[in-house]
Amino acid sequence: MRVAIAEDSVLLREGIARLLTDAGFDVVARCGDAVQLRSELRVRVPDVVIVDIRLPPTHTDEGLRAAIELRAEHPGLAVVVLSQYVEVGLAMKLLADSADRVGYLLKDRISDVPDFIAAVRRVAAGGSAIDPTIVSTLLGRRRHDDPLARLTPREREVLELMAAGTSNQGIADRLVITLRAVEKYVSSIFGKLGLPATGSESRRVLAVLLFLRT
Amino acid sequence: MPARPSPLLLLTIGTALLLGLAGAVSLSLANGLSPVNAAILSWLTVTYSVSGLVAWWCRPANRLGPLLLLTGVGGLVSATGRAEQGILQTVGQAADLVPLVLIVHVFVSFPTGRLHGRAEKLLIGVGYLAAVPGQLVVMMLGGLPPHLLTVVEAPGPAVVLHNVVLTTVSAVALGGVALLFTRRRTHGRHLRRSLTLLVDSFALGLVMIAALMVVGAFGGPAFPAVQRISLILLGVAPVAFLAGLLQARLARSSVGDLVVALRGEPADVRTPLAHALRDPSLVLLYWLPRFGVWAGPDGRPVTLPDDPDRVSLIDDDGEPMAALIHDPALRDEAALLDAVRAAACIALRSGRLQAQLRASVEELRGSRARVLEAGRRERQRLERDLHDGAQQRLVALSLNLGVLQTRLGDDPEAAALLIEARGEIAVSLTELRDLARGLHPAVVSAHGLAVALESLAARAPVPVRLSVDLPGRVDEAIEVAAYYVVCESLTNVGKHARATAATVAVSQRNGTMAIEVVDDGCGGADTERGTGLRGLADRVEALGGCLRLWTPAGGGTELRAELPCG
Repeated sequence: MRVAIAEDSVLLREGIARLLTDAGFDVVARCGDAVQLRSELRVRVPDVVIVDIRLPPTHTDEGLRAAIELRAEHPGLAVVVLSQYVEVGLAMKLLADSADRVGYLLKDRISDVPDFIAAVRRVAAGGSAIDPTIVSTLLGRRRHDDPLARLTPREREVLELMAAGTSNQGIADRLVITLRAVEKYVSSIFGKLGLPATGSESRRVLAVLLFLRT
Repeated sequence: MPARPSPLLLLTIGTALLLGLAGAVSLSLANGLSPVNAAILSWLTVTYSVSGLVAWWCRPANRLGPLLLLTGVGGLVSATGRAEQGILQTVGQAADLVPLVLIVHVFVSFPTGRLHGRAEKLLIGVGYLAAVPGQLVVMMLGGLPPHLLTVVEAPGPAVVLHNVVLTTVSAVALGGVALLFTRRRTHGRHLRRSLTLLVDSFALGLVMIAALMVVGAFGGPAFPAVQRISLILLGVAPVAFLAGLLQARLARSSVGDLVVALRGEPADVRTPLAHALRDPSLVLLYWLPRFGVWAGPDGRPVTLPDDPDRVSLIDDDGEPMAALIHDPALRDEAALLDAVRAAACIALRSGRLQAQLRASVEELRGSRARVLEAGRRERQRLERDLHDGAQQRLVALSLNLGVLQTRLGDDPEAAALLIEARGEIAVSLTELRDLARGLHPAVVSAHGLAVALESLAARAPVPVRLSVDLPGRVDEAIEVAAYYVVCESLTNVGKHARATAATVAVSQRNGTMAIEVVDDGCGGADTERGTGLRGLADRVEALGGCLRLWTPAGGGTELRAELPCG
């Protein structure tokens, strides 16, 4: 699987490249800014792009803009956006109308190598990876007449993993329960929140995030 | 100031003029001048001469008086051209066109009696050149007989040259009127505006005369009625000039009113001054020695105009204290200006103190804004340094530990140590992130207020209904201030208000950003104790905005801030 990295800190860029190479990825481009990333993508389009949200020259939102544009230009391209801080507003901007092939993670997550690799693979395979901070912020949001209060603790755990983009199999592995049990929890959650059941795992990410956001 | 002409001199001139007028009228009547035209001649002579004499007496510094007098004399001299023959007739013929140029001169130089600028001087110069040497050459060539000046008989060139002279003088008259109106439009005189308009309307008489002269020179009809009306109109003009002088005398008496008005130490010194000087356009400036600048009563620095005719300085013990910027025409009323300056001195002293105070406040406001802005930039720089430095290094370190963990194989003790180390780094990163966010909300600069406020609302301790209506990005200092207003307000809602919900509304209209945070809590917020609110108000006020809080006990709290962002 081919990966392009755009990250202005050399230390981090090489670190990410090394751990991805170790995991069997083919790192085809290592870029210091968005301009370089765009020109690399004109030569060949990788499967996944990993991009820092703050890139030169202004160190503001170059990475985010590049990610949104590249997603629009190359529909099959998976994009993982990394940042020192994650913001609910930005997650919504990035996901816009689809959570397919999108990741938005705190940089801290890279150090949990197996998790990070799994997230990159999941995004490349068409899924999504949303930072747990986003999900917990949204879950912690106070509401009147809170429908989340009707969820059991177990259902809440499943919702959290689901909103982060974890697949049913991933949830089953994490919670050490059967796949069938996960499916039962998911349909129960959707019923309690009054959400229509969706087929794809990434589509349900967006549905859940949009629900949590209101 | 030039001395007044002696009454004896004026009396002599007046008597001589009257005798001359009587002689000229009888001469003209004897030579077939109609009584109506004789009356018009007398009217013109009397109005210009008498106005000239009065002006000279009242305003010896002003050249308009002698000029008016000269115009009256000129009219009289040119009237002798009616004589049958002889030296009188020759002189009269030669001076035939001079009165018209003199009248143009009077109009153009009103109200100072001086010509300003090259165009005015050139115009009047050409007029005199055509009216005197031009006319003399015509006569020497045998034109306009009978007279004593013919040198050669050249009727052809004489007629052509005479037409040229007439056309030139007419053109000068028209040019004078054009100049008058251009000057009125570009300079805009406030002083005695009604009088100026009156004089301008008399200038129409000048236009008519000039037009009739050209028509007559090229053999057109004479229109005697129009000619008479125009001449009568021209004769009224010096009365208007005289009215101007009388008004000035009235103005001088208004100094007494000014003294009374200023005795009450009014907050506004300018208005009574403008009233006394009859100049609504008057500007009052104070010299602020502490700042080394001229400033208006509001303390804002102002540059003094270069034109010395517009500026009168008022000293206090030899030091400049104030300046009046006025209509240049006031320069001719030196006595009035002096009286007003003397009367205003004490009131100006306290006015200057106020201006100085306001300038200090203005300076403080500016320095507060600069200090806050410098602080904001410094915190922004620190946040950036943290982000690019410590945070990146810790992430890279943690990443390396993660890679190391994957390569370690089966050593549970080492793995546990690595996990613990990574956990420590994760805690440090979280702390650094909070620190950085407290230093500067980078998300505001990078992604705008709307995104940042959405995150704030999501993290708020109570459910928040957020409405953001912003057309685009505005100045970063304003966005950051707005962010802190909402951030601090929501923190307070969580800490003190016992609220169950809050509304945040941010909108922008007519160059102002309005921020409203309303909660349904218990109200009665202590606005004095907490430094948070005071700091917020400082931040908002330093940017020229305002912040208000309504917090009735038991009635919820409503905070409203406005920030200029145009």
